[in-house]
Amino acid sequence: MPERSFGLQAPPSLGAPGKKRYAMVVDLRRCIGCMACVLADKAEFEVPLGVWRTWVSVRTVGQYPHVKKHFLPRLCNHCDDPPCVRSCPVQATYKHEEGFVLQRYERCIGCRACMVACPFNARHFLPKKRSNPNLPTNVVDKCTFCFHRVSQGFAPACAQTCVGRARIFGDINDPNSEVAKLVAANSTIVLKPEMGTKPQIYYIMPNQKSMSQEVGLLEEPADVKEDRKAHREHFGLYF
Amino acid sequence: MLDYQVFHTIPWGMRIAIYFWLVGASAGSFVISSLGWVFGVKKYKPIALPASITAIILLLIVPIILIADLGKPERFWYLLRPDFWHASSPMAWGTLLISAYPGAMLIYSWFVYKENEFQAKVWGILSIILAVSTHWYTGVVMELNPSREINHTSLAPILFLTGAFVSGIGFLIIVLFIRNFFLPADKQVGAEMFAGMGRLMAWGLVFDLFLIFSEFLQMSYGTGDEIVALKHILLGVFSFQFLWLEVIFGIIAPLIILFSSFGRSLTGIVAASILVDIGVLAMRQWWTIGGQYLQTYFQ
Repeated sequence: MPERSFGLQAPPSLGAPGKKRYAMVVDLRRCIGCMACVLADKAEFEVPLGVWRTWVSVRTVGQYPHVKKHFLPRLCNHCDDPPCVRSCPVQATYKHEEGFVLQRYERCIGCRACMVACPFNARHFLPKKRSNPNLPTNVVDKCTFCFHRVSQGFAPACAQTCVGRARIFGDINDPNSEVAKLVAANSTIVLKPEMGTKPQIYYIMPNQKSMSQEVGLLEEPADVKEDRKAHREHFGLYF
Repeated sequence: MLDYQVFHTIPWGMRIAIYFWLVGASAGSFVISSLGWVFGVKKYKPIALPASITAIILLLIVPIILIADLGKPERFWYLLRPDFWHASSPMAWGTLLISAYPGAMLIYSWFVYKENEFQAKVWGILSIILAVSTHWYTGVVMELNPSREINHTSLAPILFLTGAFVSGIGFLIIVLFIRNFFLPADKQVGAEMFAGMGRLMAWGLVFDLFLIFSEFLQMSYGTGDEIVALKHILLGVFSFQFLWLEVIFGIIAPLIILFSSFGRSLTGIVAASILVDIGVLAMRQWWTIGGQYLQTYFQ
């Protein structure tokens, strides 16, 4: 495919006839918080310490003896109208016509405008040194929806490894696909719909109460605050 | 403690905040420089050249900071490659502005030095448009990020420009004050000129205070995230920069100095200028880092 063919943002393909639009459904009723997806992703891409392409946010709610843990697997939302793509000054990030939002490491200058633009913190900056010298450094990286696997007919590493089948991947434009059926049959939410980015990770919530628990900015519990402080002392506040 | 938490870092840090301050001070100095040659306020003609040279020097530091801040500094020229250029990115336009602005100022300064009235006016108009646009862009590049509650306001460029106006005049007053020690008595900048610039700065500060009040009012009646932003940043982590450095030491204290009898003396004006410059730098810091800081709370 020539370099410039999808240099600029591909048009939104959600619901466009004859086009594929890959999406993921995360069924939170099935997530057990085993972090296998995080590990699979770290292994698949040799993701360095301190940054994540996918992660699982954990919150403990309630008081003993009525305690529950809520999990929220997170990854790039592969938005249909991604703000990172429109912010990149050198077209280093682009939207593939089938919905993948991808990064061209050979173009990225590391200005981090895409990280500032992303409402979901889905992008990260690669450190100076990596154990594998052949992998890119000092540029912005992100979840690719496992483009290299999907283009060969495999499921993304995180979906493939998920023990509870909480992560389901597929073409949402195809009404017979599992993701399309799940989105049609269940009440789903996306993160921060008010940002107008049309996120393509659909969450099936375990119950109504947890919706307000999981999404949005909340006052953090004391232990999380301590962890945050430790993290800042180790990695610093900013790049 | 048993929960596994993932935290995020802030992409744009102090270097970007200093860059915003430098561009602002440069644009503010240039406004004073253009008063004499472009807007016909004859009183300011003698300081046009030192003002524009201050503006150029401040702006020449900018590319160094920005390129050093890139992950791949050796690829900075990709920003200028026509085949990579991306029209929807504010930064692509900002690169053009930052490249063009010092050039136009240099040509303007040359014609001011040669005292070519017509050419200085033409290049002065072009430079003042570029000066305002370059600084307007720094507000825009922060503003066009919908998830950064503090930055996502159409007041951002106006707030930045007002800060630029006052910090530029303040910096110029300090530069001219130091310059006076190296000049013979007949070539020194007079007390009347300093008083005039002090007056301009004072009215800029009044407008700045009004803008901050408007923004504060809107945020305190805002959406949930805006109220959290107000609580966490303006009154929490960044309250030293916002409340103390920017509002109290950076605006209210200089205003009291400038409108009192102390403000008529040269010492008063220079003291107010130093306070204003520190206040604007603090504003650039919490404005840049604060919006992103809140974003890291979203897990």
